[in-house]
Amino acid sequence: MTLLLHTYQFFTQHPGTIWRHTLQQLYLVAIPLAAAILVAVPLTMLATRVRRLYGPVMGFANAMQTIPSLALLALMIAIGLGIGVLPAVLALFLYALMPIVRNTYVGIMGVDPGVKDAARGMGVTSWQLLWMIEMPLALHVIIAGIRSALVATIGFATLASLIGAGGLGSLIMEGMGLASNSIVLAGTIPAIVLAFLAEGLMGRVERVLTPRGLRA
Amino acid sequence: MTDGNSGSPGADSETILEFRGVTKSFGGRAPAVRDFTLSVARGQLVVLIGPSGCGKTTTLRMVNRLIEPSSGSIWLEGRDCKTYNPVELRRRLGYVIQRIGLMPHLTIGDNITFVLRLLGQPPAARRDRAAELLEMVGLDPAEYLDRYPAELSGGQQQRIGVLRALAHDPDIILMDEPFGALDPLMREQLQEEFKRLLRTVSKTIVFVTHDMDEALSMADIIVLMKDGEIVQVAPPEEMLRHPADEFVASFMGRHRVLRQASEVSVADVMIASPVMTSASNGLARSLELMRRRRVSSLLVQDSQGRYAGVVRQSELQDHIEAGDQSPVGTLADRTVATLAPSDSGLTAMHQLLSHQQVDSLPVLDADDRIVGLVTRGTLVGLLGDALRVARGVQDVNLAESDRALAGEVAR
Repeated sequence: MTLLLHTYQFFTQHPGTIWRHTLQQLYLVAIPLAAAILVAVPLTMLATRVRRLYGPVMGFANAMQTIPSLALLALMIAIGLGIGVLPAVLALFLYALMPIVRNTYVGIMGVDPGVKDAARGMGVTSWQLLWMIEMPLALHVIIAGIRSALVATIGFATLASLIGAGGLGSLIMEGMGLASNSIVLAGTIPAIVLAFLAEGLMGRVERVLTPRGLRA
Repeated sequence: MTDGNSGSPGADSETILEFRGVTKSFGGRAPAVRDFTLSVARGQLVVLIGPSGCGKTTTLRMVNRLIEPSSGSIWLEGRDCKTYNPVELRRRLGYVIQRIGLMPHLTIGDNITFVLRLLGQPPAARRDRAAELLEMVGLDPAEYLDRYPAELSGGQQQRIGVLRALAHDPDIILMDEPFGALDPLMREQLQEEFKRLLRTVSKTIVFVTHDMDEALSMADIIVLMKDGEIVQVAPPEEMLRHPADEFVASFMGRHRVLRQASEVSVADVMIASPVMTSASNGLARSLELMRRRRVSSLLVQDSQGRYAGVVRQSELQDHIEAGDQSPVGTLADRTVATLAPSDSGLTAMHQLLSHQQVDSLPVLDADDRIVGLVTRGTLVGLLGDALRVARGVQDVNLAESDRALAGEVAR
């Protein structure tokens, strides 16, 4: 009970600190994720047209997610990017690629070949095939990929403080350094809430973007 | 493009689609389609049929350039398809496929008018057109326009698939086994409906199927293919009667048997002078006639020469042994089914097969006079001949074979 009380006191006494760290955390998630979407979705769309691209693209994204997250951060330093926000954002970006690439590819390739054949036979251009048929039908699958990338990124972002990128992770680290569980919780609780909020929000987005005709 | 010295295929105003020596090979394998040449007249329904892998679908898909020919050319309304932009070409044609391929995220209305949307028609006009088409196949627009494909049965989905090909009023519709995925009942229903639809909107159809029933019921012209080549081009009737070779004959097999039996009339195959007796004749005399003519039943005539029934040998014997003195007319059984000379051979088969206790059926004219008899032997002869024809061994001459049979019976 005392721990909760102390945590509560920390929240009320240092709202600015917590807000600042949370905001940093949001940047650390939003920037790499947005970059990952902007790179991975078009690149993977291209890979559905130029099939031999898919191997290298997916292989790279997969490798980035396979590297242990801490090692990936350390790698940023090792390759000379130093510490701070930039290497953290880059690492988070690389880490977020895989679920987006995978789901974009699966989503587009999973569109019923009969639908695509009928569309081509009716005279859609390849752009129209992508925008009128494949994208609407694949969108909810792509969103599901973004959703898992987002959740993974929020988790990973708390580690980014290890290379000096700030965020809620630095609050947790600070608390651990001071052996203060209330400060640790002050970092942990917003991180958890953020993750659940993001998850819930994306779930809703996914449902809204699922075409009516596909909803069970 | 010049078509001066090669002779314009458009010279014949009736020809809407022409294949000129079209060949398609994929990689190093044997060509999927080889030297395919065919003229399709406006308004015709041409069925491409053959065993799987014969190149019929490849041929179809070369028309709308989903597949490009390796050599040769395809001419649409006097213009080489190569000179069209593929996308524009496809928007001029209708396309129906076995997998249906409705857009699951679009409403029925939007699905029907998908090509009109590609052509830039405004939504209101498209909706009107969709409603008009739905009404043509008896679907209530109010109920269907805003529904989604997943809410419809397979048969209804393909109805929409067909309407979609009609929406932009193309001259030519390409259909790749359109009813192939439906159950037989639904298939037949859609075939009939489609034929009815074609009477109101005159279209040229290129139709791929592997189902001979479908080909026979739909086609104006059947193009039978094998290993990428045309084996025979003929109207259904001619293909049934004069198959080009053994392959065609065997491919038509079953259909030729049934067609033969349904085309031949009872008058053609019946025994024209069956063994008869008068109703007033005595039992013993009738039995003696049976023995002499080696038959097991007699047709009984009344005094005016009208059919009075059938007597069987076993009954006659029983009554003679019992000392019955009445004339044979009293034993005549009138419950046996009878045939008319104009009935088809198929009807005769059905009657004989469904009445196992009788082995012959009297044939009566309009005045109830006996004009002939159809026996199980006749039936066997008919089937045998049809089978022989189906195997392409020889042309059929049913009347002759039946005369031989009649002679045997009467011997």
